[in-house]
Amino acid sequence: MPTLPDHTPIAAAALGQGRGPQAAKAEILWPTPARVLSTDVLRVDAREKVTGEAKYASDVQPPGWLYAMILRSRWAAAKVTAIDTSEALKVPGVKSIVLAGGEQRRVRYYGTELAAVAATSKQACLDALRAIKVTAEPLPFVVDERDAMKEDAPRVFDGPNLSAPGVKQEGDVANALSSAAAVVEGELSTQVQIHHPLESHGNTIVVKDDGATVWASTQGIFSVRDGIAGNLKLPQSNVQVICDYMGGGFGAKFGPGVEGGLAARLSKETGLPVKLMLTRLEEGLAVGNRPSSIQKIKMGASADGKLTAFEAETVGTPGTGGGGETAGGSGGANVATPYIYKVPNFKVQQRAVATNAGASRAFRAPAHPQGSFGTECMLDDLAVKLGIDPVEIRILNDPGENRRKEYALGRDKFGWKEKYKKPGSSPGPIKTGVGCAGATWGGGGRGTRAEAQINSDGTVEVRVGTQDLGTGSRTLVAMVAAEAFGIRPDQVVARIGDTRFPPSGASGGSTTTASLCPGVWDACQNALAELKTRSGMADVAGPNWAVACRKIGINPISAQGEWKQGLSSSGSGGVQFVEVEVDTDTGYIRVKKVLALMDCGLIVNTLTTTSQINSGIIMGMSYALHEERVMDKATGVVLNHSFDTYKITNLADTPEIECILLNMPERGVIGIAEVSNVPTASAIANAVANAIGVRVPSLPITPAKVLAALGKVPKMSA
Amino acid sequence: MHSFTYSTARSVDEAIALVGDKGRYLAGGIDLLAELKDYLVTPAPDILVNVKRVGQPGGPAGGAGDAKMGLLNGIVHVAPAGKEGEAYKLGANVTIAEVAANAALKKAFPGLTHAAGEVGSTQIRNVATLAGNLLQHSRCWYYRHPDVTCQKKGGDKCLARDGENRYHALFTGGSCVTVAASNMAMVLTALDAKATVRRGKETVTLSMPDLYAKAWTDAAAHHSLAPQDFLTSVTVPTLRKRSAYRQQSERKEFDWALVSCAAAGNVNGGVLTDARVVLGCVAPIPYMSLEVNNFLQGKPLNEATATAAADMLLKGARPLSQNGYKVPLAQALVKRALLALNETAG
Repeated sequence: MPTLPDHTPIAAAALGQGRGPQAAKAEILWPTPARVLSTDVLRVDAREKVTGEAKYASDVQPPGWLYAMILRSRWAAAKVTAIDTSEALKVPGVKSIVLAGGEQRRVRYYGTELAAVAATSKQACLDALRAIKVTAEPLPFVVDERDAMKEDAPRVFDGPNLSAPGVKQEGDVANALSSAAAVVEGELSTQVQIHHPLESHGNTIVVKDDGATVWASTQGIFSVRDGIAGNLKLPQSNVQVICDYMGGGFGAKFGPGVEGGLAARLSKETGLPVKLMLTRLEEGLAVGNRPSSIQKIKMGASADGKLTAFEAETVGTPGTGGGGETAGGSGGANVATPYIYKVPNFKVQQRAVATNAGASRAFRAPAHPQGSFGTECMLDDLAVKLGIDPVEIRILNDPGENRRKEYALGRDKFGWKEKYKKPGSSPGPIKTGVGCAGATWGGGGRGTRAEAQINSDGTVEVRVGTQDLGTGSRTLVAMVAAEAFGIRPDQVVARIGDTRFPPSGASGGSTTTASLCPGVWDACQNALAELKTRSGMADVAGPNWAVACRKIGINPISAQGEWKQGLSSSGSGGVQFVEVEVDTDTGYIRVKKVLALMDCGLIVNTLTTTSQINSGIIMGMSYALHEERVMDKATGVVLNHSFDTYKITNLADTPEIECILLNMPERGVIGIAEVSNVPTASAIANAVANAIGVRVPSLPITPAKVLAALGKVPKMSA
Repeated sequence: MHSFTYSTARSVDEAIALVGDKGRYLAGGIDLLAELKDYLVTPAPDILVNVKRVGQPGGPAGGAGDAKMGLLNGIVHVAPAGKEGEAYKLGANVTIAEVAANAALKKAFPGLTHAAGEVGSTQIRNVATLAGNLLQHSRCWYYRHPDVTCQKKGGDKCLARDGENRYHALFTGGSCVTVAASNMAMVLTALDAKATVRRGKETVTLSMPDLYAKAWTDAAAHHSLAPQDFLTSVTVPTLRKRSAYRQQSERKEFDWALVSCAAAGNVNGGVLTDARVVLGCVAPIPYMSLEVNNFLQGKPLNEATATAAADMLLKGARPLSQNGYKVPLAQALVKRALLALNETAG
């Protein structure tokens, strides 16, 4: 086992200031001290993944399989009047073409699915797509959210683009602002971010008369099953969905999607297996994104830094996923604001504006990174105005006890007091700065069933109908069983990713680990009880295991179990500290160091937990500095559909990351995936403002924006 | 992509004969196949001629290739050190990785090897060729979009000019505002390299400005060569003992430069002679000003000189709605590249 010095699990109690209120009364249902849990265990499927043995949905090749591809609208808005597939059907190798939504229809964004073709080769699909003749009347469209809000903007739907405001308020914000010792205000904005999982969306599907088998790249095998069953009018019991491995989803891969439905219909039409995986270009159009936001914020505090007033008006675009006649997609474009802070007087008014662009979907902590950015940036500006240290103002205002401890601990670990200087005061053209921010998320578990089987040779199989979104589910199943039985994780075969196993929920909302670990634990406890009965031994663990198992007899022990409250709870949190270097001549930002202090109850596997946090931080940095969907106002297309212009943070820019995990077994298992992603962009933005002495109010913070904020960009020549 | 014939040429003559009037040469294959897959090349080529075997000894067609051209995959020291006409000749098929790692080049032209090291990623540098890098096509996202017809693809106007133009030109002689993005082109222009090109039966020598001049005004052009012209080598004189390259991208590695700058010259007793400064990613061609080069002649190499040169070089810049930041960025990089000539390391 390699030693990994970059993360340090510590017991929460070691922080010294006593446990949280929940902890005080909670009974600890997990073993303490644990033998396997809260240690570093390498992924049980690491070898398969690294060597390429692992079979993903796109690797599966059932006999006779066909390629399939989708024809998409070239228009951002149009009335399609005819789709002529006659020439396309003559292309050699083409087996079937199906329409996505009827021949005559309105399309509302560039990339809307019109038809799909199945053929014996990819080239035949491409040739066929080019041979399909679509007749359409182009209609006016709008892709920019600020344009879409204008009175005379083209309407995306029949109703107005701008939704009615949702208002939340408490206290008297006008009065509180006028009596505050200091008030800051600003307009903060965040971009549309695309999920872009490295494995694109798609499925390999075999439809027969009486049922279907689907190899899916999905976050929810059961939601894919139900979607495909509904689509083909098949009994759910006759549809099997398999997802042994998948290459990322981030919230964009719950159901079968339009592409899954088209693949199923093509398979049904041809009687052959069909593989339909989206291209990178398609990933940028129609399978989700994080809505943008424009946030006008006023924040006020007393002279000692206590927040007294918060006022925000926000608007963002979920593309065709909100506004007008739909409230679907992501449920609009609301942001979580004033985020983690409780302000006695606040008024928040939020709206979504529809644009002719692909609909948003849930994206790693929906609404949180946007809300965090607006709130945490203003809080830093307020701290500067009041002459209060940014960490101090957070400890003063953050209602989260764990986070307050994390700020105090992190401040020392990070060397904050030595590193924090007056904004813009570091000498020379390359300026250093520091920033911090906090985050919260639920991450609780929910109904999961699991099945544990003990064989007479001592081997163990655990079956759960979950999927591994990348968090290491298979490894966690093995670890929990190993802990329960007193054996090693490599003595357990963990079977997941199949709807024939006992059901677990979709992997969204950071719920997977907190759902499946209690279910597996319970199943193992039930199996263990039976083993004790059958073997007549009170202690079957460790050295007794093999002896006890030999007494099982012909029928293996098989026991089910289910998720139980208490083995998991909700409410993960954390804070992050960031140090940056900004070249004020070129605008380039180098993130030097990120220190993350995160809590998610019982740490199941310190290695995969740290890996989750690393990924959250890198993705947050990518949101802060690089990623942005760019659309063309004149043609309505997504311009940066390729990774050379849709920029994602790569290894060379990845900073030193240090994770400090607060292990709190008394709280049970809680998910960490989303919360780890939230504060990074805000902390980076605050560090940049601290370095250069001026706020860059919009993400991503590019060299162009840094130079503009520094007043170095000349006025445009006429 | 459209179907095409694939053929391997053993000599430059054979390559020229095979490519005909509708074919393309295929060397590293970094971009041509991607362009074909996106149906960006019109008319689509009817043949791709693999030129990686041209002049390779021991191939089935045998021989040392085209003796007049020398090997396409070699880096050759032409004329001994210190002699009149001393130069390095770089074959067209030399990979960018080979340029970056070549010890003699590193000593003679540190700016060139530095620029090579900034091209793409390790994987790309291992496969991409010098000629492919020099003759690469526009990265403009309107040009690259399969469903958009911009001026470069025969459309009636430049869509970037009034559109999304953060990565586009500050200077252009026409209406297209794409930028030349070849790292190698910038340094080779600063070093006053010459390109040797087979054009039918003739061999022509082009200065680097000549190699790109057509793209200054002609929106359809990426450079001055016709698809049938065969760039065989680049000759770099050792006249300038100092060279340097600086680029700034949004990401540290594997990213296009927002702006790049190459400088070359001689420095004796702190005085600059034979200086050339070239900007990349600010114009459809490597952007250089004779006025600036002349201004630098005999000037002390210091902050004031570098600042004056930077200001002078950016004087005629015409920023678009989103690329004004390139002016201060280019000024900063000009200063850094020029001042780096004080060092021998580039």
